[in-house]
Amino acid sequence: MIEGAGFVDVEFGSPVDTFAGATGEDKARAFGTYGYVIQARKPSA
Amino acid sequence: MAADTPVDVDRLRNEIESTYQQVAERPDGSYHFHTGRRAMDHLGYPADLLDALPASAIDAFAGVANVFGPGLPEVGSRVVDVGSGAGTDTLIAARAVGTDGAAIGVDINEAMLERARAAAAATGMPHVGFRRGLAEELPVDDGWADLVISNGVLNLVPDKAAAYTEIHRALRPGGRLQVSDICVEAAVPDEAKQDVDLWTA
Repeated sequence: MIEGAGFVDVEFGSPVDTFAGATGEDKARAFGTYGYVIQARKPSA
Repeated sequence: MAADTPVDVDRLRNEIESTYQQVAERPDGSYHFHTGRRAMDHLGYPADLLDALPASAIDAFAGVANVFGPGLPEVGSRVVDVGSGAGTDTLIAARAVGTDGAAIGVDINEAMLERARAAAAATGMPHVGFRRGLAEELPVDDGWADLVISNGVLNLVPDKAAAYTEIHRALRPGGRLQVSDICVEAAVPDEAKQDVDLWTA
């Protein structure tokens, strides 16, 4: 999807256990939900 | 309804707005996600970044990862924060870019915008502002931004492809996207995709 919008060099960082200890932890666990930092670049030309 | 979106878009937007209205007005309430300083500590934001901000900017923070983990914006650069919420990440960006740069936060929630503007005023930084708008229709000129950030927002946008296309439009050639978002490892059943409560969870 990100590349489809025209971005290049798409990179995902390490997973973050965003919901650990929160009340939404069970739902997050059920779907294997983690936070990520995603980087990408718009081509120069 | 946006293409391929299995829920009613208007209902979804109303539910999201309602949830984050509550966070803006009662940040210490009970939510399915961490909020405030506890959330930012949990996600690994350095304390020195947070200590430099007004408490009002931190109290209603809601995000999914430290969007500045890969690095802060460069001095003098122009940053757009999509779904800026309480303005926490926008203000961190504004402090990093300095007065030769600029930071604009965009959000649809008036209560969050009000909170963010008050926090910005408290910092005295003249180069930060907040505008009302959707991720799919950013109130920013073509190619204005050097960097677009976002934290825990694009997963809530009904038409994600349109949002990424709009971010691409707002960036200058060579500009960068640096967003925090959630991803799921397990297949999500169709009935779950139609559950607005799960979209906002």
